[in-house]
Formats: sequence, C-alpha cells, structure tokens
Amino acid sequence: MNEVVAFWILSVIAVFGALVAVRKRNLIHGVFALLVFFAGLSGLFLLLLAEFIAAVQVLVYIGAVGILLLFAIMLTERVTGDDDRRVTSRGWFWGLVVTAAVFVVLLLPAIQQLPPPKAAQTIDPSVKELGHKLMNPYVVTLEVLALLLTAALIGAVTAAQGVRMPKEEDSPE
Amino acid sequence: MTLHHYLILAALLFCVGLMGAFTRRNAIVVLFSVEIMLNAANLNFIAFWRYSENPALLHGPLFTLFAIAVAAAEVAVGLALMIAVYRHFKTVDLESMDTLREE
Repeated sequence: MNEVVAFWILSVIAVFGALVAVRKRNLIHGVFALLVFFAGLSGLFLLLLAEFIAAVQVLVYIGAVGILLLFAIMLTERVTGDDDRRVTSRGWFWGLVVTAAVFVVLLLPAIQQLPPPKAAQTIDPSVKELGHKLMNPYVVTLEVLALLLTAALIGAVTAAQGVRMPKEEDSPE
Repeated sequence: MTLHHYLILAALLFCVGLMGAFTRRNAIVVLFSVEIMLNAANLNFIAFWRYSENPALLHGPLFTLFAIAVAAAEVAVGLALMIAVYRHFKTVDLESMDTLREE
C-alpha cells in the first residue's frame, strides 16, 4: 500500500518536473524543474531497491549535471527569455504529432495482456556485490569507460576553449 | 505495483523528452530533453531488473551505471560544444544555425 502511494507521488513529481523543464521559457527555472525531475527519478530507483543507483543519480545528475547546465546557461545567452521571440521551433506541430505517434507505438505491447512478472521482494547483495561485479567480469568495460571520461574531459576543455587564432599572438599589445 | 506501471511511466517520460527535443529552439533545452530521455531509459533498465528472474546478477544496475557515466560524458561535451557554438554564432538558437544550408 505504502509502495503504491510512493509510486504515484514520485511519478507525478517526475512527470511534472520533466514537463516544466521542457516547457518553461526561463531557462534557469527550467534547470531547477529538471533537478526536481532527477530527484523524483532517484526516489523511484529507491522504490525499485536500487539504492546505489539512486545515490549515483543524486550525485551525478543533481550535483554535477545541474551545476554544469546552470553554468552553460549563464555563459551563453538570454537567461530569462523575457523577450517576445518564439521559444518553439518552426515544425513544433509535426514534432508533437511524431511524439504522440511514438507514445502510441511504445504502448502497443500493453494490449497483449501478458501476465505481469513478479517482483523480487528482497535483493540482498547490493553495493558490495556491485563492486565485485565491476572488478570481475566487467573490468574491461570499466576501463573503457574511464578512458571515455578522460577523453570527454579533454575534449570538453578543448572545445570550450575555442580556437586560438595565430593573429592574436602577433598583434602588439 | 507491476512492471507495467514503471514501463508506462518510462514511456511517458521518454515522450516528454522527445517533445522537448522536437519543439524547442534553444539548444540547451534540447540537451535537457536528451537527458530526460536517457533517464527514462535508465528507469526501464532498473524496472526490468527488479522484475527479472534472477536479480542477483545485477545486470540492470551495472548497465545503468555505465549509461549514467556515458550520459555524463555526453552532457559535458555537449555543453562545451554549445559554448563554442555560442562564441561563433553569438546565439544558441537552433534555427539560426543554418550555415550549411545553401539558399
């Protein structure tokens, strides 16, 4: 019973946060709505007994990605969106149509009336076993991921730094 | 709660993200939307894991962990590109970045 109530509350929080994040004109408000969405999803992960993933969600998404998005917004343009320019793209109507079509297609398997599988009630080996699994069968994946993160770090710094023109060094200042 | 509840919720969240990616002009909002879609996919992974035959194998959390790491790399590179694009075009409006389209 408690689980059902928690599921509905967290679902409403997540869907509402996502909708506000996507529709809001003011980008900063949008980022905060996105953080609400991430928090709601983290609660859903807790409900599904994946407590380590819930903690990672809070650390990585709310902590790092949120701050990164805020900085990127403040480094680029118009934060508040107070002017009269359209926020929607030219093809927004067809975008909505395609979105509705995708939603219907995603829900199509629901008409098959498959018997719902049972949930595991307790899952005892959680974080410790996750660490062992990362070391034993998945160590290559872990290393590739470390390489990817390093490459992304270097790439992000290089891309954000911009190209230095040789003229700048020649110009007398 | 059955698996279906979680799957329908994930489909709904995915479609909210898809709607944002299709209907907004600001490139940073499109990046938000991609994040929302990735998170909906992660919710699917975790739900299928919880309702699987053998959850002790921990396939769901491991895959989600890797997906979160890749998504973090993606958002860092994406925002760096956005800043580079802003420096070049002085805007992050997707409809004014049409240099490749020869009129």
